[in-house]
Amino acid sequence: MTCWSCHGATAQSTPFCGSCRKLQPLGRTEDYYSLFALPREFTLEPRLLEQRFRDLSRHLHPDRFARAEPRERRIALERATRLNDAYRALKDWRRRAAYLLKLAGQDVFGEGGSFHDPEFLEEQLEWREALAMARADGDAAALAGIAARSRASLAALEAECGRYFEAEDWFSESVWAIASRLSRARYYDNIIADAERGAGPQ
Amino acid sequence: MGRAIGIDLGTTNSLVAHVDARNRPQVIPADEGRPLLPSAVHYAADGSVEVGLAARRRAPERPVDTILSVKRFMGRGPGDLRPEDRGISRFDESGAVVRLLVADGARAVTPIEVSAEVLRVLKRRADEALGGPPGGCVITVPAYFDDAQRQATKDAGRLAGLDVLRLLNEPTAAALAYGLDKQVQGTFAVYDLGGGTFDVSILRLDHGVFEVLATGGDTHLGGDDFDRVVAARLLERGLTPPVASPGPAVLRGALAAAQRLRETLTTEAAVEADVELPGGHRLLARLTREELEALIAPVIERTTAPCRGALKDAGLSTVDGVVLVGGTTRTPAVRRHVRALFGKEPLTDLDPDTVVALGAAVQADALDRGGREDVLLLDVIPLSLGVEMMGGVVEKLILRNSTIPASASQAFTTYADGQTGMVIHVVQGERELAHDCRSLARFTLKGIPAMPAGIARVEITYAVDADGILQVSARELATGLEQTIQVKATYGLGEEEVEAMLIESIEHAEADVTERFVREWRVEAERILASLQSAFAVDGELLSAAERTAIEERLAGLRGAMDGDDYLAIKTWIGTVDGATKVFAERRMDKHVRAAMAGHRVEEFASEVRTTRQDPGEEE
Repeated sequence: MTCWSCHGATAQSTPFCGSCRKLQPLGRTEDYYSLFALPREFTLEPRLLEQRFRDLSRHLHPDRFARAEPRERRIALERATRLNDAYRALKDWRRRAAYLLKLAGQDVFGEGGSFHDPEFLEEQLEWREALAMARADGDAAALAGIAARSRASLAALEAECGRYFEAEDWFSESVWAIASRLSRARYYDNIIADAERGAGPQ
Repeated sequence: MGRAIGIDLGTTNSLVAHVDARNRPQVIPADEGRPLLPSAVHYAADGSVEVGLAARRRAPERPVDTILSVKRFMGRGPGDLRPEDRGISRFDESGAVVRLLVADGARAVTPIEVSAEVLRVLKRRADEALGGPPGGCVITVPAYFDDAQRQATKDAGRLAGLDVLRLLNEPTAAALAYGLDKQVQGTFAVYDLGGGTFDVSILRLDHGVFEVLATGGDTHLGGDDFDRVVAARLLERGLTPPVASPGPAVLRGALAAAQRLRETLTTEAAVEADVELPGGHRLLARLTREELEALIAPVIERTTAPCRGALKDAGLSTVDGVVLVGGTTRTPAVRRHVRALFGKEPLTDLDPDTVVALGAAVQADALDRGGREDVLLLDVIPLSLGVEMMGGVVEKLILRNSTIPASASQAFTTYADGQTGMVIHVVQGERELAHDCRSLARFTLKGIPAMPAGIARVEITYAVDADGILQVSARELATGLEQTIQVKATYGLGEEEVEAMLIESIEHAEADVTERFVREWRVEAERILASLQSAFAVDGELLSAAERTAIEERLAGLRGAMDGDDYLAIKTWIGTVDGATKVFAERRMDKHVRAAMAGHRVEEFASEVRTTRQDPGEEE
């Protein structure tokens, strides 16, 4: 690679040119994990991710380039945007799992497609019924209980996804199992939101 | 290059600050030696403009020509005007952007131009104080400002000749000033109640990292609303002789009296007013602090839901501290409310009036010097950005409280065979349906290769920059054909309009400008003539002979004006043609709506019948 500014040789591994210190454009091959120099794994250490995000942000944030020449300013904006998008995608386990599926060529949630999970349908109906009853009765304790149980289910789903991803050949064997858990997680997120809206003072 | 400055462009007052040689942020006196410049602009009939205290003194005598609280109208269209906005100012609601009629009705100014007048004065004060024109500047905006309001603020800065390095959220600016000055750490709520806007931001401060976790607010909630309820009570109880619907002068007088009473009641238990108002009216009233608090309680209560929502979005049930910002937080009842809401004694170490400007100065100085090693500001977008899908439902691309800059993409497919265009409607807000959200832009993607339905795929990418302002681009995936769309905000000003105003404000190259206006208005007139000709051909029978003659007479007048060089004459004739063809347009609309019910698409006709337009170039 050649630096756009001084035309010297640059290394892919660092955002800055070794000789003139100008910020270099993003490489096309970099995925969200490589931005943070983390292995492509579902299980990650949140503190480490946050630490790396902050360290990189300090160097790449547009605030550092407000007085830079337009081209470098544009590169900084692109880099910082990518960094924030990547952090958002990896921080949350649901998005992280969906991203890993996408990297494996399994964009199960693309194009707004809905996910069919007939086994879960019955459970969904039970949750909805419990929620509707608690709301109709104005039963704050019941609503809080529903939210707490949903959170427990979410934690269980995360642990299950973790186990699936640990398998050597998860991308050929477990894609559907993981995707259905993500779809269920989305459902629990909605249940929690609804339960807390009903319970809390408006 | 000069020193960088920070500007707090407030609803009621504006301030400018800089970082001094000892590295301390300082407010620069802006008006008659005082730090606060009232955000008041007076447009006299003779064309002169006054800003600040001088303008505010004119307000009682010239209520319509003196604009206060213009921030409420930034980035807003006529459809956004609320009942409480009316009563004093006169509006021109013919364009996409609200305009205010001033100088005895001789001028129509946009809120952007009014704000630019305030900014120009601040720039001049900085120039005098710093011994030369300022370098870059940071202008603060309410965290809850949407894309159109941000764009309008940035345009005002450009119009005032400022080099706007960044728009900074007001609560974030305050947090920056607090964090650096008081070395606070932990999670904080910034409760910012100003003259016209309310913001709450939840931040985590950790060793120089200022991370906004969530933000909420209401861009139409502030001290102005306190004044309105108090003024209504004064008018109801103490106006002699009483009137059913008070005019602008009486309203303005009552609002000013309300503000004074309210401020006095911050420290006193009771206060009396005896004010002479124009038109032989007199306002005589007594108000106790208890009565005041009962009146404003419902307004204060409106800050509760945004605070609870922001805490919830931040994933917190409580915070380590609460910071008060904005002059309205001096009100004792507001402080009690905040204490009860967060269960914490609020921090008021820094002056709530100046803290935002100080934070803006710190940020401006940092940006100007290539950033600070010890500070990292991570701010968020306040409202989700989405795109309208089939059926009017919104698909959110970037969720609220996402750290900016941020981007997101979404692919769409064509729904008809051979479809070569696609309408993209960009909206901002949390509601499910597009018409409940703010419409930011609507544009048509052209040049999609004709293919069977569902084959052509267009990827739309939203990118929000560090100012919280959106750019949209589109790519046809099958062919790789890329188009970057200049999002022209529905309620903002186009590039050309800003340019036209810039040219006007410089008062330069007047002949060139005039020539351009003449050209542009001629083009517009030609467009109208052509569309009317085709309308006559299709629907001529909808007009009686007399009506047709009346229209033709005006068209002749328009053609005559088009031969001359007076663009105002062309514009005026277009106005009369519009008036004369209004009934015709309505009848055509009726006819085609009926036709549409018989299976035609009404849009085909609506766009052709429409006779209103955006001004191609505006000198006012």
